[in-house]
Amino acid sequence: MNKKNNTRDSILRNDGFQTIIASLLCILLGLLVGYIVLLIINPSGAAGAISSILKNFLYYPSAAAATKYLGTTLVKASALLMCSLSVLFAYKVGLFNIGAAGQYVVGAGACLYCAIALHLPWIVCLLAAVLASAIVGGISGALKAYFNVNEVISCIMLNWIGLYAVNMLLTTVKEETTPYTKPLSSANSSAILPTLGLDKLFSNNKFVGLGLIISIVMAVLVWIILEKTKFGFELKATGMNKLAAKYCGMREKTNIILTMMISGALAGLGAACFYLTGVEQWMVQQTSVPSMGFNGIASAFLGGLNPIGAIFSSYFIQHITSGGSYVDKTMYCAQISDLISAFIIYLCGFVLFFKLWLNRYLDKREEKQGMKAQKGGEA
Amino acid sequence: MLLLIQYTLIFASVLLLVALGGCFSEHSGVINIGLEGIMVMGALGGALMMKFLPGGTPAVAVILMVIVASVLLGILFSLLLGVAAIQFKADQTLVGTALNLLGTAAAVVVVRAINMAENPDNVSTTVSYMKEKEAFLLKIGKFEFNWFMLIALLLLIAAYVVLYKTRFGLRLCACGEHPQAADSVGINVYKMRYAGVIISGALGGLGGVVYITAGVSEWKFENGVAGFGFLALAVMIFGQWKPVNIGLAALLFGLFRALSNVYTGFDFLMKLNIPGTLYNMFPYIISLIVLIFVSKKSRAPKAEGIPYDKGQR
Amino acid sequence: MADYAIEMLNITKRFPGIIANDNITLQLKKGEIHALLGENGAGKSTLMSVLFGLYQPEEGEIHKDGRKVEINNPNDADALGIGMVHQHFKLVECFSVLDNIILGVETTKGGILQKDEARKKVLALSEKYGFQVDPNALIEDITVGMQQRTEILKMLYRDNEILIFDEPTAVLTPQEIQELMTIMKNLAAEGKSILFITHKLAEIMQVADRCSVLRKGKYIGTVDIKDTTPEKLSAMMVGRDVNFVVEKKPVKPGKVILDVQNMTVASKRHKNNAVNGVSLNVREGEIVCIAGIDGNGQTEFVYGLTGLEPLKEGKITLHGEDFTQMPIRKRSIKGMSHIPEDRHKHGLVLDYSLENNIVLQRYFEPQFTNKFGFLKKKEIRDYANRLIEQYDVRSGQGPITKARSMSGGNQQKAIIAREIDKNPELLVAVQPTRGLDVGAIEYIHKQLVAQRDAGKGVLLVSLELDEVMNVSDRILVMYEGEIVGEFDPKEVTVEELGLYMAGSKRKGA
Repeated sequence: MNKKNNTRDSILRNDGFQTIIASLLCILLGLLVGYIVLLIINPSGAAGAISSILKNFLYYPSAAAATKYLGTTLVKASALLMCSLSVLFAYKVGLFNIGAAGQYVVGAGACLYCAIALHLPWIVCLLAAVLASAIVGGISGALKAYFNVNEVISCIMLNWIGLYAVNMLLTTVKEETTPYTKPLSSANSSAILPTLGLDKLFSNNKFVGLGLIISIVMAVLVWIILEKTKFGFELKATGMNKLAAKYCGMREKTNIILTMMISGALAGLGAACFYLTGVEQWMVQQTSVPSMGFNGIASAFLGGLNPIGAIFSSYFIQHITSGGSYVDKTMYCAQISDLISAFIIYLCGFVLFFKLWLNRYLDKREEKQGMKAQKGGEA
Repeated sequence: MLLLIQYTLIFASVLLLVALGGCFSEHSGVINIGLEGIMVMGALGGALMMKFLPGGTPAVAVILMVIVASVLLGILFSLLLGVAAIQFKADQTLVGTALNLLGTAAAVVVVRAINMAENPDNVSTTVSYMKEKEAFLLKIGKFEFNWFMLIALLLLIAAYVVLYKTRFGLRLCACGEHPQAADSVGINVYKMRYAGVIISGALGGLGGVVYITAGVSEWKFENGVAGFGFLALAVMIFGQWKPVNIGLAALLFGLFRALSNVYTGFDFLMKLNIPGTLYNMFPYIISLIVLIFVSKKSRAPKAEGIPYDKGQR
Repeated sequence: MADYAIEMLNITKRFPGIIANDNITLQLKKGEIHALLGENGAGKSTLMSVLFGLYQPEEGEIHKDGRKVEINNPNDADALGIGMVHQHFKLVECFSVLDNIILGVETTKGGILQKDEARKKVLALSEKYGFQVDPNALIEDITVGMQQRTEILKMLYRDNEILIFDEPTAVLTPQEIQELMTIMKNLAAEGKSILFITHKLAEIMQVADRCSVLRKGKYIGTVDIKDTTPEKLSAMMVGRDVNFVVEKKPVKPGKVILDVQNMTVASKRHKNNAVNGVSLNVREGEIVCIAGIDGNGQTEFVYGLTGLEPLKEGKITLHGEDFTQMPIRKRSIKGMSHIPEDRHKHGLVLDYSLENNIVLQRYFEPQFTNKFGFLKKKEIRDYANRLIEQYDVRSGQGPITKARSMSGGNQQKAIIAREIDKNPELLVAVQPTRGLDVGAIEYIHKQLVAQRDAGKGVLLVSLELDEVMNVSDRILVMYEGEIVGEFDPKEVTVEELGLYMAGSKRKGA
């Protein structure tokens, strides 16, 4: 029996296991709070609304429609995954990349401009987005490295600058009668990402394609870089102890800038994989940054800051965000999902404390058992 | 020109209030990135109070009630940061960011719920308060004086006195600089940090309501407060965490923000033919540049951002 | 019994896996200076934390003036008139001396601070005990000795009767130590009871009336100073005879390895230079020691030497090669090893595993990284295991132990293993034995001597005069950023060194 206890304890002590438990708790509590808010607004439909959020595409009775909308959720989730990889990657070096949102915007601006105004093929548009976002990320990194500017504040400033700049840029390629950019299908169909036949799997949802694959590959790639390479070794060391990294000759400033550039590139790639499917057009009168980048923070932390974990957490966050649009609109609004994911981020702040508490609890129990065992031995 | 001064002053008041809030929080040792969210909540409280106050309420009462509503909501919301950062030693940047998102999301949900309850077809996130807002204004010739300008000035003086001349200020700063020292002489670091966060919530909330009444008479809550909370943080850093310097920094930033509202009134600016969007970008660009120059030798409170743990000595 | 100011009776305090205080009794008489002696980890700090209400003991009680008292937090201790000068001062650097003294016990009128009364009281106290403290000076502008006096004034301002000094002499010059001793005697003569925590025997012999000794959490005994000798105290403290002298062969210096010319480093704290025109060299097969009081530019000198800070002026060469502008990584590859002053700040990535910390200076070498930039995990593990065994680094789970969870001594051993196994030409060791117990100190000294005997150069920076005298072959004294004297340890006394360290004497230009 003792042995059984021990194996259970060692699972409980496992960091990965603790992270999963903590994330699940965050989700549960987040949904609970969402439910309570719904109850306050209108008690009669609250349960229904929560289940619509959780059901998302299952809202559609026909299997074909459901798979189709699963596809759309996946397209959005892959963009989100890339934003969350962007946040996570920077956080490993100790930087809080709240600028993923702005880098995403700049990426969207760059790829749409290249596609619609310059009529370039998708691969060029994709690279343009990556490059532009990398530069924006790199600016924050350079400001941090050389001028000690708090990256959170510089990122926010760049978010707004980026938004206004992209609105200005894309106004030149908008439809005449609407505030939206011209649809890719008519303006330049060569800029649309290849579907690689994946659309067939999702009831001919033509938006599903290469983006999905790129995002998964990126997650694995980020994991490999962080865990297996010299570069990752340096990045993590810098994040954990900047001074020690400097002491052993790692080029801290270069690493900070490089990290922020990669971070930016990931967010930009996310934007390209999203807007180059043609699933959405850019609205040039937007007065706030799209929430994709901010949700990236939620899924990065919810995934325990692990690239593989981020795959699941990104899907979950996108699932409930999309699900939000199925709530009964006569009673509630879709933003209830934003509220839930914002609250989940908040709860993620408690994860460290939770782990500490759990370990302390296990320590105490072990000590007690140890004492018991000792007493047993004496008796 | 008068209009420019008017807008400069009112935007400077907003930035001053919020930056002072940040200043108190940071002097106690807690980085408050969530000021943006706190402003939204304060704005929401104020806006709803204006919406629901019966017509014909005397101006003084309107002002007072609006202030109370925004301050209270700001405080309540800031406590979310306080509990997480002080009690549970959470990452302050993460929690602050969560507050920003939470603030906007919650405001949208609440406003929509209220709007829809009144009229099921109204799915906007806009609250308007055209008439009630007039309580804050006093026409002096062509100049629209806003009572909040005076309040901001008074609070600036108060902040100076509190931080440098009172027991509370001395203890607060000690907690942000060297919490172990404060603890060793019997000061309750947790309590002081809560005090700092609560003050920042109050000032941030107040700043929020001033912002949404500056120049407009309705507010679309989807937009949050357009990064103003972060501009205020830049003002605070530019002001080197000192109230008087923060006041001057706020004036400068207020001027740039005001330009985007009134540049059309200046012939020479119009002749430059700069697109309007660029004026919108101005405050953010300026703050980036300012940060480059002041961040290198910043005198931030030494222990800010580091959770205080009594056990660790 | 009432002639005891404070009594701690049969105190037992346990932590998971360790008994920090095992049935300890400490009785402090009124008006006496009572030394508390013990090595690091003997339980002195825990005992004091119990006295201050930071920890609650599992067993035992505390009596004040013969009556039992409950101390649940520092405020209770303060109310009972117990005050402490902490080893690391609890002073707010950007506050004035006066603000620091009144913090926590401010007088106010209508909420506004009233400082005039307080200033008068502080000046009066300062005069009475000859402190010469300026109440309006900022802490960051005054010397360490003055900062310590501020701490003492804090206690006197609060009319504390029981004064605890936690290792107060570690940061002082020999002259300042003498002044402190006089102050302590004056305080005792005024009726204050003093508890003096230290591991320096000479100071105890000079100033204390009685001494209680702790060892490994256990109470060993209390002796009257007039009836004892340093040797007896030492034996009580460590439980065996300690080999105070490091065994080493006579020095046979060879060619010059390190040559530093006219090094100047700007200060981060004040406008003057932290290091001002320092020139020195280290030859093969010798240990050169830089002695001095903390804060006289040693830290900055090492930063400049190892590349952590840029030089304002000067030239560094190693084996004739110009190192002045060389990046840190290249210096390391070309044979400069650095055991840093602060192992938590610079020396280790605490959240990395032991094996990662062991390869921290070499992970990029072809033996640990392949040509595609991937780490060779197995080679790293094997290498770490070899060093762990060779240098006897002990840890809970071997190579995968988090560095944070290791003891200070073993953390330091890991750093030393890493730096020495690189086979450097020059080993720069900054306070390598700080905070370690006697066994670990002996071990580290042996390693330094082994490097020297292997014909390498060792540059040791130390604040401990015993270490300076015992280990080095040549002593350089640093004062206010300059080298003020060079000595042969066999021909100089500690007192003589002290005069140079305090700046009251200097040689040459």
